[in-house]
Amino acid sequence: MKQLLIRVLLISVSLVSWPTFIQAQDADGPTFEDILRGFEDPSRWLTYSGDYSGRRHSPLTQITTDNVDQLRPAWTFQTGTTTRGRGFETTPLLDDGVLYVTGSNNYAWAIDARSGRSFWQYRRNLPDDLTYGASAPVNRGFGMLGNQLFMVTLDAHLMSFDRRTGDVIWERELADYQVGYSSTMAPLVLDNKVIVGISGGEYQTRGFIDAFDPVLGERIWRFNTIPGPGETGSETWPDDPAILAGGGGGTWMNGSYDADLNLIYWGIGNPNPDYYDENRPGDNLYTDSIVALDANTGEMRWHYQFTPHDVNDWDSNHMPVLANIEWQGQPRRVVMVGNRNGFFYVLDRVTGEFLLGEPFTATTWAREIGADGRPIVVNDGSLGCLPDPWGSTNFYPPTFFPGLDLFILTARETCAIYVPEEPANTRGQANFGGTVFIDSEQGYGALRALDVHSGELEWEFTYPSPSFGGVMSTASGLVFAGDHEGNFMAFDAASGENLWHYQTGSRIWGAAAITYMLDGVQYVLIPSGTTLMAFAL
Amino acid sequence: MNGARYLKHRRHLILLIIILLGANGAFSQTVNPLAADPRAARAGGGIFRAQCASCHGADAKGIDIIDAPDLTLIWTRVEATDQAVFQVIRSGIPGSIMPPHGFPDPEIWMLVSYLRSVAVTGTSKQIVGNSTRGSELFQGNCSLCHRVDGSGGSLGPDLTAITARRTQAALTDSIRNPSANIARRYKPVSLLTDANERVRGAIKSEDAFSIQVMDSNQVLRGFSKSALRELNRDEPSLMPAFSERQLSETDVNDILSFLQSVR
Ligand code: HEC
Ligand code: HEC
Repeated sequence: MKQLLIRVLLISVSLVSWPTFIQAQDADGPTFEDILRGFEDPSRWLTYSGDYSGRRHSPLTQITTDNVDQLRPAWTFQTGTTTRGRGFETTPLLDDGVLYVTGSNNYAWAIDARSGRSFWQYRRNLPDDLTYGASAPVNRGFGMLGNQLFMVTLDAHLMSFDRRTGDVIWERELADYQVGYSSTMAPLVLDNKVIVGISGGEYQTRGFIDAFDPVLGERIWRFNTIPGPGETGSETWPDDPAILAGGGGGTWMNGSYDADLNLIYWGIGNPNPDYYDENRPGDNLYTDSIVALDANTGEMRWHYQFTPHDVNDWDSNHMPVLANIEWQGQPRRVVMVGNRNGFFYVLDRVTGEFLLGEPFTATTWAREIGADGRPIVVNDGSLGCLPDPWGSTNFYPPTFFPGLDLFILTARETCAIYVPEEPANTRGQANFGGTVFIDSEQGYGALRALDVHSGELEWEFTYPSPSFGGVMSTASGLVFAGDHEGNFMAFDAASGENLWHYQTGSRIWGAAAITYMLDGVQYVLIPSGTTLMAFAL
Repeated sequence: MNGARYLKHRRHLILLIIILLGANGAFSQTVNPLAADPRAARAGGGIFRAQCASCHGADAKGIDIIDAPDLTLIWTRVEATDQAVFQVIRSGIPGSIMPPHGFPDPEIWMLVSYLRSVAVTGTSKQIVGNSTRGSELFQGNCSLCHRVDGSGGSLGPDLTAITARRTQAALTDSIRNPSANIARRYKPVSLLTDANERVRGAIKSEDAFSIQVMDSNQVLRGFSKSALRELNRDEPSLMPAFSERQLSETDVNDILSFLQSVR
């Protein structure tokens, strides 16, 4: 009876307005223009941060500072795949009521966003001799365009799926996993381009950012993060092709995109070896930097290096956060980064000009960034402990709250002593070049809100241990964050007051919340442990 | 550790099949062929620092925040044989970040030798003392808080196999000066509740909003931090310090000799 009714309805609808009907069903899936519109349609979440800006700031307002204490679990999805020692790091994508979710060990699902029930599951048969991929068997999410999904794998492949079935459409090798390459990031989808990065900077690898044609699966361009012999930047390395070929510089978080400038912004990881530096005097460009690349060609427009000549594994694989703000009386297009080295940075995103760099943790490494944009290092480690190799923050997303002009991130206060030792430089083996003694008694974590104009701390909320949880905010004045003890929490963005918390039962690691509206209900989702949890009022 | 156990069972099955087929190649070695070679542990230390320390710590004592266990303690478990540890290093632990390692066999045996060399040192010598008298002293002074051989209290750790893990000098030190070094799940805390109840206990777990303790009456209790007037961690150990006046050197040795006898 019901079905008949629906059919009658469908026929009548289709008679009247066939094109709108197609659109409502979204049979063709989202376009680049849809992704560009970002949060305009709150029933969608089409790219890692919700839009290209990396701000993870949703306009939704059903859940407010007044009612958030009534937030309740709506459903829980159990993945059944674990990565003890790491986390469930994905950001789900949402379109037309269906969530597309990647998981640990290269599992993936399509899930009903209203009920938490799955439509299909995919599981990749991974080789049993994974290199870096075995010690971080995580994934941060899909990219989506039309009816295609894109996912990278622990054996360093890029795959395309049919989002309706989970069937594989094409698959390409990014690099040889047996050398030490892996891939874990969420692909960035632009106009007819899928941009991906690579992990493995702890191995004898050379980082890159690749652009692929979504339909043909062909590579359009590659940007190498370590210059080749004679190329610009190679003067910051020894004149040795072998060292350049294994210089590290992973690109394992995705980037943000400015459509007006047609530039993508991407963070680059540590030089190889991590701690041992005798074979690599110099700044080691473009490690620990942010680069601005022309989206059409992959050519570098500008770069800024946060940690020249890094010896502490302070990758700069962070989500670059784009905003247009007033800067000393002038409107300015900026990019902001809370960096693993303990500093918060504001740069002009058109030119790369350094505007601000202020510490957001108690790091003794440097207390100041000079006028030339270089850190004034006061403690190379010989004067007491430094932030540990996971750093003062890490890849997990921060949020930018416009209006309040707050940059809100999870900070880690840690204390570590680094002891370098010459590594063996063996293919397929980790190449840290030393060891680290971490004083776990001294560690703690904190959610910190920084005034983007001064870098000053506006408020903080502390956690018992250094945390790896990401952050999201909503226009209703809320900040959602997770911690290492497993709490998923809501805060008043203006004051930092904790308004709600829910113990998820497992650490929230590498993941940040997303939010969307369906049938008039605002949902908030967070991955934790082996579960994806949805909350609503 | 389910993964490890599962793996071990599976390995045993494979081992059995291989033996039955008479094709005992890679799995034939059940003891460390390098055990007698003192250079093996040193070489293994080098491999460990390069390949394992990033997770298990430079001192092999583990890194809590990533669930990487303290490897200096593994040998105190009965099932930890050279062969079993070899297999875990070779195959990794599926479902965790503990990766497989494709190193040549001799390098893995070097790692096993290294792990043997950093194993917590227990008391190898026979402790000189009267264990019968020690047993009585233990009942009178210690068993309220410590379990031995299945009976006793739980505020402090089970001491059944403690002499296998710690030296006589270290144990004597723990008895004389317990506050000097307090193990992780026994950190003392003093709470004052909204109802004005004073609670002393050991912190078992804690997050930003709650704290879980075993109180001094050995009852497990959870508290919401917002319902506490005071939360003071700056406390001496829950174990009283036993001075020479309370327990002489002979008394302590008698107790330790008793603890050694129940191993
Ligand atoms: C990427 C991190 C990582 C690396 C690298 C790593 N381990 Fe592990 N290891 C772990 C974790 C996490 C566990 C616990 C896994 C579990 O129980 O689920 C573990 C477990 C073990 C165990 C079992 C301990 C027990 O209690 O039974 C042994 C033995 C071990 N590792 C040895 C090594 C050795 C030797 C190396 C270097 C060759 C190494 N590991 C490298 C993370 C790591
Ligand atoms: C009131 C309870 C209490 C009594 C009585 C007590 N202990 Fe303890 N003991 C503890 C607690 C709690 C710890 C863990 C905290 C610490 O190490 O200070 C501990 C720790 C120890 C340790 C260190 C264990 C390890 O794993 O390293 C030893 C050894 C020990 N006790 C021996 C004794 C002996 C022997 C006696 C009797 C003479 C005794 N204790 C009496 C509570 C007690």
